[in-house]
Amino acid sequence: MTPSLLNALLMLPALLLLAIVFAWPLLDSAWLSSQASSVLTGLSPIANHGANWQRLLGDARFWQDAAVTLRFAVVSVGLELLLGLAMALLLHRPGRGRGWLRALTLLPWALPTTVLALGWRWIYNDPYGPLNAILRACGAAPYGFLTTPATTWLFTVLADVWKTTPFVALLLLAGLQSIPAELEESLVLEGASPGQILRRLTLPLLKPWISLALLFRLAQALGVFDLVQVLTRGGPAGSTESLALYAYLNAMRFLDFGYSATVVIATFLLLVVLTALGWLLLRRRALEPSR
Amino acid sequence: MKGLLLLWSLAPLAWQLYTSLVTPEALVSGSIGPTGSFWTLENYRQVWLADPPIWRYLLNSAVVGAATTALTLALAVPCAYGLQRQGGRLRWAVTLALLATAIFPTVLLFLALLQLARTLGLANNLLALSLPYAALCLPLAVLLLRAAFAELPPDLEDAARLEGLNLPQRLRHVLLPLLAPSLASTAILVFLFSWNEYPIALTWISRPELLTLPPAIARLAGSSLFTVPYGAFAAATVLGSLPLLLLVLIFQRSIVSGLTQGAIKG
Repeated sequence: MTPSLLNALLMLPALLLLAIVFAWPLLDSAWLSSQASSVLTGLSPIANHGANWQRLLGDARFWQDAAVTLRFAVVSVGLELLLGLAMALLLHRPGRGRGWLRALTLLPWALPTTVLALGWRWIYNDPYGPLNAILRACGAAPYGFLTTPATTWLFTVLADVWKTTPFVALLLLAGLQSIPAELEESLVLEGASPGQILRRLTLPLLKPWISLALLFRLAQALGVFDLVQVLTRGGPAGSTESLALYAYLNAMRFLDFGYSATVVIATFLLLVVLTALGWLLLRRRALEPSR
Repeated sequence: MKGLLLLWSLAPLAWQLYTSLVTPEALVSGSIGPTGSFWTLENYRQVWLADPPIWRYLLNSAVVGAATTALTLALAVPCAYGLQRQGGRLRWAVTLALLATAIFPTVLLFLALLQLARTLGLANNLLALSLPYAALCLPLAVLLLRAAFAELPPDLEDAARLEGLNLPQRLRHVLLPLLAPSLASTAILVFLFSWNEYPIALTWISRPELLTLPPAIARLAGSSLFTVPYGAFAAATVLGSLPLLLLVLIFQRSIVSGLTQGAIKG
């Protein structure tokens, strides 16, 4: 047996399972999006010649959810990168108890999202939650964190930032550890300030890690589901309903599998376009000569 | 700065712990009259004796987690070994596929996977749940283990081959013992993922006594947004977090180094 054939055989079982669980569902959903399959058809698929896609184009709820999801993803990923960088720099500094500090800050990332979302619902509770207790102590009126349509999305962002920033920090910490300490020492000898070191040395060398964290978090945030499903159920007034939640509701509540598949594929396409765009943008930046 | 970071990370968790340990009256008023008591274990008693009891969900999650971890490692080790030794276009294509699947938000798979489960009769089967879970964990596991294989000295395997050991023997007696730290951190990350996965468990499992922890917690949350027994919820979240909390604190070194080392070399 040639080495190449042996390698391929060793990889085959894993790749086969990946194909069944990733590639097949996408193909199946793409096909199903061209079919009517709902309670009206007895849940058996009947070709409906693009009617699902036509409906999608005119579906105000879909477009609102797309805007909600995009807003959520851009704002929370942006904040996560900024805070994650600060957190990584802090965790990178030598000092006593550094291992414990890393483990404890990692906890929000390690615990189940549904569990934490339920916890945040209590923190945001109006009027008994701790945030409203603080407001009351300051003499302010209690605030409906989860019942005010104009602002509730901000509090889903806050819960997401709290939960996933440690992951971003961990990735960037890996990047920091790959930077040779001598480089920083030589800049210190030249009399560079911490800000200059960050700008001239750390950030340029962290670029690949920042890109990786950005792509990963952007894709995950565009598929946000667990958090909004438990924290707000998409409310109030649909102001936090994500595309993934809409796809789920179409299948499991409205029992319209054909349209659910259409929303899934539309979300997938949006995801591919946006992450490709992000990647191209990052690559172009990386090719520019650094100062 | 470090104190601020700890406060930010731990305060919401501490609040859950506090909520789980006090009476509903204490939660609402912040203080309690001379006759009432402040601290209580009643919330824990309630979720422990509920129907189905919380330990049932913990047990289900542990079973799925163990099965997923075993299956993932069994598939990921040969794949990572093959990928590390393979060169050229196939290596590039497989790595790219692994990266793409690693960042893919898995919730988009739920609809087709649900149909697959119904067609194959895999719904309401805890062990079957480990099939999609293993697939979702494989990209990360293979990438981490490939990086670990790359670290081993290349002469080592040649020497073992000259000794007449075949591939399974080389893996078992020479390579894998050296990879133990990477295997451990990969296993922990896989278990963590399995413990936390929600959309697939939500759609595959409908029988209450078979629910894993995340859908069980979400089902609790399904009651009204306004009058909910937050004390009991908090007790459930504390009990549901405890196993992972211990895991992270005990294995903090291998989790952090596993992820960071894998990312550096991968």
